[in-house]
Amino acid sequence: MSAIQTAFGLVFQPAVLVTIFLAALFGLVVGAIPGLTATMAIALLVPVTFFMDPVPAVGAMVTCSAMAIFAGDIPGTLLRIPGTPASAAYTDEAYMMTRNGEGEIALGANLLFSAIGGLFGTFVLILSAPALAEVALQFSSFEYFWMALLGLTCAVFIGTGSPVKGLVSLFIGLFVSTIGLNNPAGVPRFTFGNAELTGGVNFIAAMIGLFAVSEVFRFAISHSVQTVPQAVIGNLFRGWGRMMVQYWPQQLRGNVLGTIIGALPGAGADIAAWVSYAVSKKMSRTPERFGKGHVEGIIESTSSNNAALAGAWVPALVFGIPGDSITAIVIGVLYLKNMNPGPTIFLNNPEYIYAVFIIFILANLVMLPLGWAAIKGARTILRIPREILMPCILMFCIVGAFAINNSAFGVAVMLVFGVLGFLMEENDIPVAPCILGIVLGPMLEENFVTSMIKSDGSYFAFFERPISGALGVATLLIWLAPVLLMALRSRKSAMPWQG
Amino acid sequence: MRINDAIIGAVLLAFAIAMFAYARTLPAIPGQEYGAAVFPVLVAMGLAGCGVVLIASGVRHWQGAVAWSDWAQTHHAWVRLVVIFALILAYIVVAPALGFVPTSIAILLVFLLMMGVRWWIAAAVAIAATILVQQTFVGLLRVPLPLGLLGP
Repeated sequence: MSAIQTAFGLVFQPAVLVTIFLAALFGLVVGAIPGLTATMAIALLVPVTFFMDPVPAVGAMVTCSAMAIFAGDIPGTLLRIPGTPASAAYTDEAYMMTRNGEGEIALGANLLFSAIGGLFGTFVLILSAPALAEVALQFSSFEYFWMALLGLTCAVFIGTGSPVKGLVSLFIGLFVSTIGLNNPAGVPRFTFGNAELTGGVNFIAAMIGLFAVSEVFRFAISHSVQTVPQAVIGNLFRGWGRMMVQYWPQQLRGNVLGTIIGALPGAGADIAAWVSYAVSKKMSRTPERFGKGHVEGIIESTSSNNAALAGAWVPALVFGIPGDSITAIVIGVLYLKNMNPGPTIFLNNPEYIYAVFIIFILANLVMLPLGWAAIKGARTILRIPREILMPCILMFCIVGAFAINNSAFGVAVMLVFGVLGFLMEENDIPVAPCILGIVLGPMLEENFVTSMIKSDGSYFAFFERPISGALGVATLLIWLAPVLLMALRSRKSAMPWQG
Repeated sequence: MRINDAIIGAVLLAFAIAMFAYARTLPAIPGQEYGAAVFPVLVAMGLAGCGVVLIASGVRHWQGAVAWSDWAQTHHAWVRLVVIFALILAYIVVAPALGFVPTSIAILLVFLLMMGVRWWIAAAVAIAATILVQQTFVGLLRVPLPLGLLGP
C-alpha cells in the first residue's frame, strides 16, 4: 500500500474525524471571543492532544488554528474588536462595512477568502515541502545552526516594536532552554539540585503560562463592558461570485504574499495580514475608498493570514524551524510524539506528512459550513460572559499543566511563566520570541557546539559551505540592517545639502 | 504598569552577571574546548548587552521608576491579581491533600464571586466546570488527578 493510501487510512477514521470536528468547534469559539487568541486556543488544546496518537493530535491543532484565525474576523467585523491579533489589520475596514449595512458581505468575504487562502497555502506546502526536504537532506550542523539563528533573528526583527525588547524576550527563552540535563555535555545546568528541574522546564507548562494564564491576569485588570452585536441576518453568500471575479488579482496577491511571509521563519499570520492590507491599499486603483468600508483590502489580507498559517508549516516540517508561535508549539508537540520534524520524516514516515496535508485540505473545506454556522451563532458566542469563562479557563490551564507529568511542578512552572508573560506584555516585550527561543534553543546549541568542535573553533567554517554561507550572510545582514539604516539616516541629517 | 527601561535593564544585567558566574562553574569536558558552559555564557552576554542598551535608553527617557497605567491606580485590580496568583498557589499546596474536586470547586467559586457573578450561578458553574474537567481528564485522558479526601 502506498504512503498516500496509508495516510487516507490514518485520517479517515471515526475517532480522528470526530477529534478534528471538535477541535474545529473549539477553535471557532475561542477565535471568536475577543481576548482569546489563536495561540491561546492551541495552548489550551495541547494538554489534551498530549494523550492522543500523532495524527489526531496534529489534526486537532491544524484545524483549531485555521478556524481560530478565521473566527477572529467575526468580532472584528461586528464589534470592532479583533478576536485574534491576525484580524487586527482590517478590523476598522470590516466594521465600517457593518455600519454601512454590508456586514454580511464582509463576513462572507472573510469566510470564503480565508478558506481559499488556506487551501492555496496548503498547495504550496504540498508542492514545496518534499522538494525542500531533498535539499535539507544535505544539510550539516552548520546549515542547521544558521537556519535556527535565522528563524530567531526574523522573530526578533520582523515583529513590531523595538528589536531590543524582542531580543530580551529571545534571550529569556534561550536561557530557559538551557535549564536541565538536556545539553550536548549532559551536565545539569541551573537546576540547583532540584530533581524536577533536571528534566528541563516543561515547554507545555511554560506555554500555557505565557499565552493563557497571562491572559487571565490581563482579564482581571481590565474592566471593559461586554457588548453584544446584532445577529447577522443577511445572506452570507451574497456577492461571492462577483467578488471572486472582480478581486481575483488581490486575492492571488494576498495568497502568495501570505504564504511567503508565513514560510519566513518567525513571521506569522498577523504580520502577513498587516503587510497585505498595506500592499492592497498601495496597489489599489481606488485607495481613497480604503478605511471607509471597502471590501478590497479585506479580501487581500484575510486571504493572506490564512495562507500564512499553512505557509508557516513549510519550515516547521522541513527544517524543524517554526514559522510563528503556533508552529513553535506544534513542533514541541511533534517531538513529544516522536514525529521529529526535519527532512528525514519525509523519508521514514511519509504517511504522517501526507496525513497532515490531507487534514489541512479537510480543515479548510470544513471551514465553509462550520464558519457559516459560527457567523450565524455569533450573537450567542459573543454573549458568553467573560467573568464565567475566565475562571473555567484558569482551571483548565491548571489541570493541563498538571497533566503533563502528573505533578504540581508543572503548575508552578505555569504560574511563573504566567506572571512573566503578564509583566512582559505590560512592558511591550513581545512573548513570541521567548517561546521560539525555548523551542529552538536546544537545536541552536547542539548545532553550534557540534560545528565548533568539527571546525576546531574556527568561525570561518560556518561560511565555507555554499548554503551555509548564504544563510549566514543573510542572517548577518538582517542583524546589521538596523545599524546600517541608522548610519545612513545620521549621515543624511549630518549633510542636509545632499537631501 | 510600565516599569522604566533602565530598571528592567538593570535587573537583566544583574541576572546576566549571575548567570555568567554560574555558567563558568560548569565542568568542562576533558580535552574539549566547547562544553556545557559555552552556550549559557553566550546567552548571558547577549542578555547583558540588552540590559546595557535598555539602561541607556531608560535613563534618557526617565519619567520616574514606574509609570502607572489606569488599572494599576485602582486597588481593585491589584486585589484581583493577587487573588488569582494565590489561587494557583493554593492549588499547588492544597490539591494533593484535599483532592482535585473540592480544590477546584473552591478555586472556581472564589474567582467567580470575585468577578461579581451571582452566588447561585457561581456555585452552579463551579460544580459543572469541575465535573467537566474531571470527566475529560480522568475519564477520557486517564490523568491521575489527586483524589485527596475522596481517595481510599
